[in-house]
Order: sequence, then C-alpha cells, then structure tokens
Amino acid sequence: MKTDLSKELIGITGEFKGHVPLLEVSGISVTFGGLHALSDVSFTVEPNEIIGIIGPNGAGKTTLFNSLVGLQKLSSGHVNFDGKRISGHKPHSIAAAGMTKTFQNSALFPGMSVLDNVITAALLRNPLKTARQESEKVLKKLGLYEVKDTDVADLTFPQKALTELARGLASGPRLLLLDEVMAALSPSEMDDVIGVIKEIRKSMSVSFLVVEHHMRAIMALCDRLIVLNFGKKLAEGTPQEIAKNPQVVEAYLGSSASVLGGEHAA
Amino acid sequence: MKFKGVTLNARTAVYLCLAVAFLIPLGMDPDGYLLRIVSMVVLFAAMAQAWNIVGGLANQLSLGHAAFFGLGAYTSTLLFIRQGISPWAGMLAGGVVAAVAMLLLSIPLFRLRGHYFALATLAFAEVLKIIAIHFADLTEGPTGITIPYGEPSFANFQFESNTSYYVVIVALFAVVSLIFWKLSTGAMGFRLRAIRENEQAAEVSGIDTYRIKLGTSMVSAFTMGMCGTVYAQFTYFFDPESIFSMTGISVRVALICIIGGMGRLWGPLIGACILIPLDEIAVNTMSDVAGLGPFVTSVILIAAIIYEPRGLISAWERLRRRAQKKHAAQSGQAAGAV
Repeated sequence: MKTDLSKELIGITGEFKGHVPLLEVSGISVTFGGLHALSDVSFTVEPNEIIGIIGPNGAGKTTLFNSLVGLQKLSSGHVNFDGKRISGHKPHSIAAAGMTKTFQNSALFPGMSVLDNVITAALLRNPLKTARQESEKVLKKLGLYEVKDTDVADLTFPQKALTELARGLASGPRLLLLDEVMAALSPSEMDDVIGVIKEIRKSMSVSFLVVEHHMRAIMALCDRLIVLNFGKKLAEGTPQEIAKNPQVVEAYLGSSASVLGGEHAA
Repeated sequence: MKFKGVTLNARTAVYLCLAVAFLIPLGMDPDGYLLRIVSMVVLFAAMAQAWNIVGGLANQLSLGHAAFFGLGAYTSTLLFIRQGISPWAGMLAGGVVAAVAMLLLSIPLFRLRGHYFALATLAFAEVLKIIAIHFADLTEGPTGITIPYGEPSFANFQFESNTSYYVVIVALFAVVSLIFWKLSTGAMGFRLRAIRENEQAAEVSGIDTYRIKLGTSMVSAFTMGMCGTVYAQFTYFFDPESIFSMTGISVRVALICIIGGMGRLWGPLIGACILIPLDEIAVNTMSDVAGLGPFVTSVILIAAIIYEPRGLISAWERLRRRAQKKHAAQSGQAAGAV
C-alpha cells in the first residue's frame, strides 16, 4: 500500500515536470465472469525501454497484452499512450497511434508470402510502393530477405516468429508488444533475435514489452521486469532485483530460482 | 528470357481467345435461343462477380444477394413506370438503394460471423419478398411487374435486337469485373486478403476491418442492384418470387462463384459457363420426372465442392503447373541426352 502511494507521488511529480511516459497503465482490471484475469495493474514504459512481463501460466500476461492493444475490453482503469487516452479505442487506431503486438501462436496471413504479410502492415503509414521498400528493409534487417517470396505456411518455426516480428515492426510502432516470439527458437537463434531487438531499439527507437518463458532471454534482453501473479502485479524492478526478490522466488520461480541466478551470473 | 516470352504469349493468347469468345455471340441469330442462353450466362457471371466482391474479397458469405438484386430491379422499374425516369438513371438509383440497405443491414450483422451472417442475409431477402408481395400499392404485389414495351430507344433501355442487350450485359460484366479487379489489387487487395485470412491480426496491424468490410459490402450491393435493373430490362417481367428467389438468385450466384473460384477474377465467368447451361439442360430434358433436374445439378455441385473446393480455376491452374513441370522435365532430359 505504501509503495503504491509513493509510486503515485513520483508519477504526479513527474507530470509536474512535464514528463509524459510513452505508455501509462493505470489500475486496469479485466474480469471474465467472476474471474479476475487482471486486477488493478499499473506501470509505465519509457521511450527506448525493453520491459519483460513474467509470471506463471494464467498470470494474465496475454490478457494484459490484449487489453493494451484493444483486443480486450477493460473492466476498469485506463491506458494512456504518449499522453493520450487509448483505452476503449479499436486495435487499428491503437496501431495507428503507435502500439501493436505479435501473436503468441503465429497469426500470419496464410496463402500470402513473407513479403506480402509485412507489406500489409507497412501500408499503415506508406503507400504501396514505399511500403514494399520499407518491408524489404525490415526483412533484410531480420535476415528474412532470402525467404521473402515463400508462403508463410511453408516457413520453419523460427522463421514464422521472425516474420511476426517483421510484420509488427513494419507498421511503424513506437512500442511493440512481443508475445513469446522466442518460444520455438534454439539458444543460438534466441541470441540472434535478442541482438536484433536491441539493434532495432537503437536504430528505430522502438520500445518493447516482452512476454517470454525463456528466463535466459528475459534476463539478457530486458531493462526492467514486471512480475504478474494471479492477475496482480507482484513486483517490478531490474532483472537483478527480481531475481533476488523473495516474494517472486516463492510465487513464481520456486526451485528454478537457482537456475535463474546461475544463468544470470554466467 | 525465352521462358518469360512463352508465358507472356500464352497469356496474351488466352485473352485473345476470350475476346473472340465474347464477339462470337454478335453473329448469332438475334431471336435465337442460343443468344438468350449466352446472355444469361454473362448476366449471371456479372451477378456472381458482384457477390464475389463481398463473398470472395471480404469473406462475408451472403446467401441473400437476391435482396439487392430485387431492390435494384424494383427501384429502376418503378421509377420508369411511375415517374418516367430513364432506367439508366434508375440503375444508379437502384444501386444506391441496395447499398443503403446493405449499410443498414450491416450495422447489426457484422457482429455475426460465418453461418450466422449467411442465415441473416438469407432472411433479409425473404423478408423483402414478403414485403413486395403484400405492399401491392407500391409493387403491384404477387402478380409482378410487366415493363411496358414502348418505342425502343437507348434512353428507355429498350432495344430492338437482343444483340444490343447482349452488348449491354457484357459491358455490365466488364464494369463489375473492373471494380472487383481494382479492389483485389493494390493496397486494398492486401488489406482485404489480410482480413480474410486473420481478422484479428489484420486489425492489430492497423487495418480498420469494420470500415473496409462495410465499404466492400456496399460496393457489392450496389453492383448487384445494377444487375437487377439490367435483368428487369432484359426479361421485361419479374415478380417477387423470381426476383427475390433464394434458389434462383441468392444461392445460385454464391454457387457459381464457389464452383468457379471464390475471390478470383475469372471464377464467376467459369462458374456461370458451367452452371447456367447445366440448369438449362436439366430443365429441358429432365422435367418429366419431378425433381430430377435439380437432383442432378445438386449432385454435380456437391461433387465439385468435395473434389475442388477452391473452384475450377484452381483445378485448371494445377493442371497447367503439372504440364509445365512435365515440359520442363522433358526438355531437361533432352538437354541431358545431347
């Protein structure tokens, strides 16, 4: 209770200085029937930040993503993006404002090539001709240029994940929500993607919210972590702080806490 | 280089053949049965193309397109008979009435998906049929409307020769097909394909799925309304039962499209070339046994849908690919032998 109040005060003083976070999530709740999928979750994302959302299965990670991009109605609370209220808006207008997400189980457009999938998103901010050029640029960056004419149904799992990422980037977001893009990747492929995401943050100044089960990836990628448990925010802090947080260790990491610490040390 | 030249020539040849095929009926007996059937084939191809805009591009399976067809026919015909307004202007008015009907219908219907949308549109056409039967003051009721045969003139949309009607019908097919082609290529084509494949992902990628589906549906209804006017002028008579018919119009145009190839430019023409003559043969040769004609066509339809669900156009493409592969293999062998 005390910590929440101090956070709020920081938020208020921040506003006085004219500081507006890129994303401001204020006390959002989502209820399905009697089930609280999310209750009173608040946090902010600053420009150029990479924030990880972790928590056990059913903690509300995907529900949180869906509520942020407008696929899920909020029961209460609100979301501001770049200082403007976006909660209640439709996903396409939130995408136009600059926030979109990738899908957990690849939701690419089947029957369309990799390039066509990416062009579709690039059309949000470009006419067709420049959309094509922009898309090819993104594909080169992600190492997908060689398979650009392949039907997405014929891609390998890692290629599908990368195409999801490419499509997300092509819409020109300022904040991209990645829902387990690395789920099907081998450790070395994961390292490549982590490198690409960090490079994109630098060159395109995109912020990321990342849901991922691979602790190694989360630790290597994120500036801050937010821990969800039973739809509530359990903790927030740097990866190091979270790894040491006894509450988190108990609620979520359990016996794998040592693995986490060990990996981080390595 | 050479390969590219060959395919280019083949494509040009196909289009040339098609153009010639459209010219042949100009030499047919204007009062003949054959020209009438050919005109019906092209008219139904135009109607199926109108359906293709919403069914094939926006993936909204309508089983009530007779509603828009009938609204077009009634609007232009009543304006002509009661107000003396040229059916050409009536055709546009009918298109607008049909598009507005689609707009009003879509507000509640777009919340429904798949079969529910199909059933709701089907019901809408049936409701319009009942209204047309009972509001006889406006619509002449169940006896239908006979268009008075006046002085043949372009302004009256009445022609001396059936060949002229054929030309009008071909022009109609060309216009609807051009609209379809415009929508299916370019930026709009990407958006519509994305909506068709994954609506949620399309929305999150920044596509206003509701507005695009609504706009596309209204264009579909508008063109279907235009087809209704041309049909009325061509047949000189229609009644609520025939113009709002579920099996005769709504389901038929959908089936033509499905059999030919949904979402494909040439699908409706291919489907109409098969289904309309088939229906005609069934009516002429099997009418002695009640229900035999529809039974035979239904069997053929079911077979087509089971064996070629993506339409005959994709069967044709598969055959062509196979032939090309065989050709490539043979020339490869020949090169190896040398």
